[in-house]
Amino acid sequence: MTSVPLPSSEHAAGPSDTGPEQEVALSVRDLNFHYGSHHALHGISLDFPARCVTAMIGPSGCGKSTLLRVFNKIYDLYPGQRATGEVLFDGRNILEDSINLDMLRARIGMVFQKPTPFPMSIYDNIAFGVRLHEKLSRTEMDERVQDVLTRVALWNEVRDRLHAPATGLSGGQQQRLCIARSIATRPEVLLLDEPTSALDPISTARIEELLDELKEEFTIAIVTHNMQQAARCADRVAFFYLGRLVEVDTADRIFTNPRQKQTQDYITGRFG
Amino acid sequence: MTPVSRSSHRRAGFDTVFHGLLWICALLVLALLGGLILLMATGGWQAFTTFGLAFFTSASWNPVKDVYGILAPLLGTAVSTAIAMLIAVPMAFGTAFWLVYIASARFASIVGTTIQLLAAVPSIIFGMWGFQTIVPFIARYIQPFLNHHLRHVPMVGPLFTGPPVGTGLVTSGIVLAVMIAPFITAVMVDVFGAVPPMLRESAFGLGATRWEMMHKIVVPWSRNGMIGAIVLGMGRALGETMAVTFIIGNVTTVGWSLFAPRSTVASLIALQFPESPAGSLRLSSLMALGFILMLLSCVSLVLARCLRGKRQ
Repeated sequence: MTSVPLPSSEHAAGPSDTGPEQEVALSVRDLNFHYGSHHALHGISLDFPARCVTAMIGPSGCGKSTLLRVFNKIYDLYPGQRATGEVLFDGRNILEDSINLDMLRARIGMVFQKPTPFPMSIYDNIAFGVRLHEKLSRTEMDERVQDVLTRVALWNEVRDRLHAPATGLSGGQQQRLCIARSIATRPEVLLLDEPTSALDPISTARIEELLDELKEEFTIAIVTHNMQQAARCADRVAFFYLGRLVEVDTADRIFTNPRQKQTQDYITGRFG
Repeated sequence: MTPVSRSSHRRAGFDTVFHGLLWICALLVLALLGGLILLMATGGWQAFTTFGLAFFTSASWNPVKDVYGILAPLLGTAVSTAIAMLIAVPMAFGTAFWLVYIASARFASIVGTTIQLLAAVPSIIFGMWGFQTIVPFIARYIQPFLNHHLRHVPMVGPLFTGPPVGTGLVTSGIVLAVMIAPFITAVMVDVFGAVPPMLRESAFGLGATRWEMMHKIVVPWSRNGMIGAIVLGMGRALGETMAVTFIIGNVTTVGWSLFAPRSTVASLIALQFPESPAGSLRLSSLMALGFILMLLSCVSLVLARCLRGKRQ
């Protein structure tokens, strides 16, 4: 189970050409985003096919993380940040004010750049999110915790110290715990904002491997600065530059034969 | 020989002198604190040896018979500080949380600055305010009301008895609370602000409400810092002198009533120190009180530092 082969590029680049018949989990239509007076995203339109990994790449400040933060409306915490346009999720535009944020965030989970374990035990880190939305018995909760920890390949490492503080785990373990915490609420979409940027190569490989398993069940949107990572993990890749979507296509096509010169220049390391 | 080496010699010499000066400054600080403690301890020695343990357990402070026990001011300080903390801590917590997590940036900066200004108000001002406003208010409304309604309730009744003069422990507690709340708030704002934004966003990202984020994430994360803030405020309340002297009534008695005039360690020293002749037992007793007060303040400050340091 826990052997750690670096995912080979053949299977990562994947055969999944997303045809028009593919089910779409998130659909972005003409999205604009403003930080106060700064116009950060310009008319983005982009589909996220269900149960696929879509990677967003581009130089720093190109708006890819901003787009991610629109999907669970976390920007809503900060006055002055606003989004216009449409983001359709399950038939509704989540940008509308009437949307229930707690429910939205239970259905769209997010994992951040750095591991963010809560100041509580490993067990409670996972139970925290679940308790917000579901009433489970003790045994059901135990099962849920074991289930998600097993799926992120952490169970064997922490089974005998579930009630120890989560801050005692290593960085890689903490990040897997954060992913476990996010999937414990059974979301449909998982947002990952450079989830491996603070991790060592082995932990990174673990998490990439994990993504491959998770996409059987979840729609995954991942922001990454690491071109190899995008090539290894993603089915589709979207390239952003200066707040605009330059190109989106299957991973093989973006990395072997991009249509735009800007994309070509970026992936070959000529800028960014 | 060369100009370069000569100038570098001079620079090295200057550096040594400068180094020495800095050492003197640092040692001076240590010597000052040590000297103060030593002065209080030796000054109070006579009282400690004359009365022994009774110095702490006797409530009789009697300059006529030249017998001194400090139970009354000790209790006065303890109870007025406790009342102040009961009022100030929830107030400070709420204000700080609101400032960091709820208020808009503009409004938060207005209120935040106001709090800093409040913290800078000299204590004598609060003393006058307490005397002019709080004392009459308590005497006219609060005390008669409580006395009338609670007098016959067992256990609780005695706490509210006494003539409605308005001075006393509750009055002091209220004014002290207003004085220390800005300090506690300011420190708590720093403590809450130190909670990593990503941690907050993670909690919200799971669908937590503000309340859930506060009591499950922010409070556990900043527990030590919050206790540090509270202890820091307590240290100030313990030593506060002028404001309390105005409004506590300055009677060295011990009793149940929270509304009767009492005295605190600091207020007793302030009032009696000028009229105690050198070498007298009374002066020594006051110095002993000073020693205890200093010890209390130092311990609470050190405690606060340790607790705040732990997390950072």
